[in-house]
Amino acid sequence: MALLQISEPGSKPEKPLHRLAVGIDLGTTNSLVAASRTSVVETLADDSGSHLLPSVVHYSAELEPLVGQRALDKLAIDPANTIISAKRMLGKNLLDIQADRDTNKATTFLYQFNRDNSDSIPQILTVAGLKSPVQISADILGTLSSRAESVLGGKLEGVVITVPAYFNDAQRQQTKEAANMVGLNVLRLLNEPTAAAVAYGLDTNDQGKIIIFDLGGGTFDVSLLSLQRGVFEVLSTGGDTNLGGDDFDRVIMDWICAEAGLGEITDSKLFARLRNAAIAAKHSLTDMDVVEINCENWQGVFNRTKFIELSADLVNRTINTCRRVIRDASVSVDEIDNIVLVGGATRMPVIQEAVAEFFGKRALTEIDPDKVVAIGAGIQADVLIGNKSAKDFLLLDVNPLSLGIETMGELVEKIIPRNTTIPVARAQEFTTFKDNQTVMSLHVVQGERELVSDCRSLARFELREIPPMVAGAAKIRVSFQVDADGLLSVSAEELSTGIIAEIQVKPSFGLSADAIEEMLQSSQENAKSDMEVRSKGEARLEAQQLIEAIASAIEVDGGLLNEKESLLIKTAIEELRRAKTEGGSVEIRDLTEELNRVSGNFAARRMNLHIGTALRGESIDVIESSSD
Amino acid sequence: MQTINKNYFQLFSIPEIYQLDIGLLGENYRGMQVEMHPDRFVNAPEEEKMRSVQRSSALNQAYDTLKDPLKRAGYMLELQGLNVEQVSQHDLGIDLLMEQMNLRESLDKLPKNESALNALNRLKKEVLEKLNSREESFSNMFMDSELATAKKIFHEMQFLQKLLIEINQGEEQRLGY
Repeated sequence: MALLQISEPGSKPEKPLHRLAVGIDLGTTNSLVAASRTSVVETLADDSGSHLLPSVVHYSAELEPLVGQRALDKLAIDPANTIISAKRMLGKNLLDIQADRDTNKATTFLYQFNRDNSDSIPQILTVAGLKSPVQISADILGTLSSRAESVLGGKLEGVVITVPAYFNDAQRQQTKEAANMVGLNVLRLLNEPTAAAVAYGLDTNDQGKIIIFDLGGGTFDVSLLSLQRGVFEVLSTGGDTNLGGDDFDRVIMDWICAEAGLGEITDSKLFARLRNAAIAAKHSLTDMDVVEINCENWQGVFNRTKFIELSADLVNRTINTCRRVIRDASVSVDEIDNIVLVGGATRMPVIQEAVAEFFGKRALTEIDPDKVVAIGAGIQADVLIGNKSAKDFLLLDVNPLSLGIETMGELVEKIIPRNTTIPVARAQEFTTFKDNQTVMSLHVVQGERELVSDCRSLARFELREIPPMVAGAAKIRVSFQVDADGLLSVSAEELSTGIIAEIQVKPSFGLSADAIEEMLQSSQENAKSDMEVRSKGEARLEAQQLIEAIASAIEVDGGLLNEKESLLIKTAIEELRRAKTEGGSVEIRDLTEELNRVSGNFAARRMNLHIGTALRGESIDVIESSSD
Repeated sequence: MQTINKNYFQLFSIPEIYQLDIGLLGENYRGMQVEMHPDRFVNAPEEEKMRSVQRSSALNQAYDTLKDPLKRAGYMLELQGLNVEQVSQHDLGIDLLMEQMNLRESLDKLPKNESALNALNRLKKEVLEKLNSREESFSNMFMDSELATAKKIFHEMQFLQKLLIEINQGEEQRLGY
């Protein structure tokens, strides 16, 4: 056996050296680190014997940041400098976070944000300066890796970090950046539910279909996996990035506020006290039916029935997601062999009962639901670094969200549908829209919706120097490649000339620290006029594209316009043509906008006309073939 | 390993027939991924890592095509040099179009609320049965080298598959997903 293993190319270390690698569960509420110390993988405790590290960082003016329980202790006294749930802000900009706040009260953050950059990476104003979610996550990762290095007695050679399956590209990128910031070598980003299955699968050697029900502090994930002979295949995943244990705390908080007549909470210290009272009540209800709450000179009795009533909507959302995930894999409920519960919030009897009722069987709970993800990640780290036989098991994961390209009419053409096994490469051919079009701009988006505006924008790039041809003649092949971490790169190639444009998808707010610094420097060095020149060039290009698009549209469908409309559009085109040669970038942009506005109805009518023709396509066939 | 000159069936070392052994296909696929997946090349030089991503992606693409009855049928026709993207009127018989219209009508006239769920389920069963019987005919026609007829059946399967997707979406809408 051993000889065979040594001859296995590219997969085994030359020497049977034990290399230090750990799995890290970077959670919204708590984080853990796990490694194999003897033959089993277990979570590692800190000096005081606790395994869970609260994902909380406290910043102070003079001292090093506090991480974990000591930071959490500061929450009630100094909430503005004590950052909780940073994971919920990863990969988002300030506008996203504010949108979350409107739709979901549990994401209410009581921090001061730097308002100067609301469309880029959010920065929290603390006494120790501006702190981004990446920096905060890095501080947590740093604490965990130091803990591991002191327990294991050596330097870490690699880490596997878990992320919610539903994390998008930006969120994954920033998780990786946070690790790189503290010098960690990321072997793999692993989806949390998959990690949980690994922890169970290897212990019990299960066969069959497994549901992973993961209700963490801030995120909810469901995955359906099949396990056959050590190979885990993710069949489908689903989830809700804005649903978690915190939301259950929040319904209790709201109830206390209403009962005690406290009104809207604006004081952050009162908010923290209320939150603690709600969490304590929730925990007590795990073992008891009734609990007494004392809060802000108010006393009340809270019972399980009330809690079931208040949380019914939240519980329904979790079960609906299960239903959807099962459907996606074309599996029926009774084909599910095992249910694995992950996340502290799954200790709530309301959840366990709802799960048992829906699946018709009780979930597995042998492994601590708080530790199971970290243990799975630790096992995977051990395999990837080469300590464990590579033949033991393999993970075949899927991409959780569809990836596509914006096409005409702001519609999304999906290139890689969700739940496709990764790594994956897919290509699709597109063509030019206008005669002699030499530039094609590509907009890469992620999401399930039909309209671009409903999906998440990942990147934009351009393919230039397309040889002039009539509209529809050029063939541009757009290729998507998703690697085993779930990260995307896109390339576009004009097939007759072989001209290629490529991009590694990294949203602008997901830039690495180095890249940001470089950008800042170069923008300071460059004269302001450079920016104006570039901006004007871009504005001109956009204007030209719009003029051409409308001109050729009028040629085809000019009949859709009445005289007045036609005059309005022609005047707007003339104005824009003039500005394009004489005006500045602001004027060009304004007039482009104006032309867009006056031609909006025309565009809509054309869309309707062409969609109508496309829909009628089948019935046209019917008539023609029946007359044959 | 050579992947370029092999078709998907040869790649997985399974016989080139339509009614294939899905269990065997899956087993061979997983066995090959165990060898080629990027997880096996974490410590390898960059070039080998890249190659592993490419090979593993190719395996996924091949498996994805073969395990799906519709994609498999289209792929087999393409291997025979037929262009399945092109649908001529000869490919679509009047009987198919009538059948489609009837099925579509029964789908469209269902109420837009939960009360339609049972009817949707019945419709789904009907479409699935039709799909199954088409798959069988496809297999027979293909084996008899009746490629034009096989292509016609393939397009019928495409229609039914599309209808099935719409039924599923209808179900999802009514369930409030």
